[in-house]
Amino acid sequence: MAVLEVEGLRVLRDGVLAVDDVSFQLAAESDTALVGPNGAGKSSLVGAILGLIPRQAGEVRILGHRLGPAGQLPAQVRAQLAFLPQALPLQGRLPLTVAEFVGFGWDPPGPRLPWGGGGARRSAVHAALAKTGCGPLGERLLSELSGGQLKRVLLAFCVVRPRRLLVLDEAQAGLDAPSTEQFHSLLFDLRRSEGWTVLQVSHDLDMVRRSCDQVLCLNRQLRCSGRPELALSRAQLERLYDPADLPSHPPRQAPMGRPRIG
Amino acid sequence: MTEISPFTAVVGQPFMQRALVGGLLTGALGGLLGSFAVLRQLSFFSDALGHSALLGISLGILLGLNPTLVLIPFAVLFALLVNLLVQRSQLPTDALLNIVYSTSLAFAVVCLSLVTTYKGGIQQLLFGDILGISWLDLALIAVLLVAAVAYLLVSLRAQVLVTLHADLAGAFGVGSQWHRIAFILLLTVVVAVSIKAVGVLLISAFVVIPACASRLVSRRFGTYLVLSSVIGGGCAVLGLLGSGLTNLPSGPCVVIVQFFGFLLALLWSLRGRPQRLRANPAVTP
Repeated sequence: MAVLEVEGLRVLRDGVLAVDDVSFQLAAESDTALVGPNGAGKSSLVGAILGLIPRQAGEVRILGHRLGPAGQLPAQVRAQLAFLPQALPLQGRLPLTVAEFVGFGWDPPGPRLPWGGGGARRSAVHAALAKTGCGPLGERLLSELSGGQLKRVLLAFCVVRPRRLLVLDEAQAGLDAPSTEQFHSLLFDLRRSEGWTVLQVSHDLDMVRRSCDQVLCLNRQLRCSGRPELALSRAQLERLYDPADLPSHPPRQAPMGRPRIG
Repeated sequence: MTEISPFTAVVGQPFMQRALVGGLLTGALGGLLGSFAVLRQLSFFSDALGHSALLGISLGILLGLNPTLVLIPFAVLFALLVNLLVQRSQLPTDALLNIVYSTSLAFAVVCLSLVTTYKGGIQQLLFGDILGISWLDLALIAVLLVAAVAYLLVSLRAQVLVTLHADLAGAFGVGSQWHRIAFILLLTVVVAVSIKAVGVLLISAFVVIPACASRLVSRRFGTYLVLSSVIGGGCAVLGLLGSGLTNLPSGPCVVIVQFFGFLLALLWSLRGRPQRLRANPAVTP
């Protein structure tokens, strides 16, 4: 069974068609990259899949459960998916320790007392911090973390409870090259050991070529999809991006007229 | 028979006992809600609520009704409208709130000058009056405190995640919009009920100062919440005692005590900082 099924998805953002008739599936334990130029509707697509913004038409199924029109999903399905944002803008303002934050990832959805879970919660947090190499960071405040540390703590937040689907928004944003490398190898290991299915919005086509099984190229509509070596060929990329701002390799050839997009 | 000290005389008065209990409860409540309000950038919103409360009270007096009973529904309606305005408008929030609070203050003062018979006077409304706390207010504050503690405890995870990142919370099924409105309503009612003792002009200090003081010295979220409530309640009691002993207006006395609390916290946090950095060398990213 596919972990995520999207069929004929159409999303309006501020009255403009942002996602048009998009269909795809994510097989269990696959790693899929969502690529496309700025304004291509990547965040609208992710928002609609998670039930954060309404959809005009189409169906979304997560773990076989249909996403309601206002983003309703059974609590046990919600507990098995997580969204990793690019950054936490208020990270510096909250006097919140890493261990407390990761503990909130363990709590199942719905109202509960903050001390519920007791020992089980504590040992889950401890194990999650150890798995992500955040062991020494438990008592640090979120505000005291570097960019790379914060990303690892976000992975600890995901790994603290068994999950099936992870959606990442530009995981490499704001990271230097070594931290990006480290993050992706950690994500790769955890995906294998935890059985995660990953959908990641990305601008880093090199990383996508190296580590993803499937690519979805979005520019309002799904322009191409498939294995990275096919979907990210020069010809496909020129259909997707304006050739002047192709994000990275393969080495640029002489542009042969501007392909029209959209 | 020993001679009665001024302290015993003040504390012996029933109105003063009511005021102290009321102050302890409102101070703790302000500190607790403030710890979230400050994080969510609602400090200025609570200021606007305070000013609108004066308009509510004035309308109550003008209509000859019990001001407290008029105030709560008025403040709730007002908060919902302002929230809608802030969410829909393209204008900066602080500018909108400025328009809202100065206009409410203007209307309120005009209303109050129409009522020449009002015995309290505007001074008490602006700066607070411990004589103003009735048994009804005490009961309301106690109910509110229980409700606020219950709501925040049970939804603590949702509150923190919504504050950190709305989409991260939304992916877990936490309705940011719903929690936002619920919190604003709670804050509104608390401000409305506390306004008599604290005064319109200084109510936002009740929300902001204890939370900021606590933020400076807390290294866990749980500590932050508890300490903020303790600072809020403690400063209110000290300030009200000071007000009773000196016959100065209650609101300013409490705020001055809060400010000294904040100053202590600031000094404490500055003192601790260099040692903490040395004790925890940065772990490589």
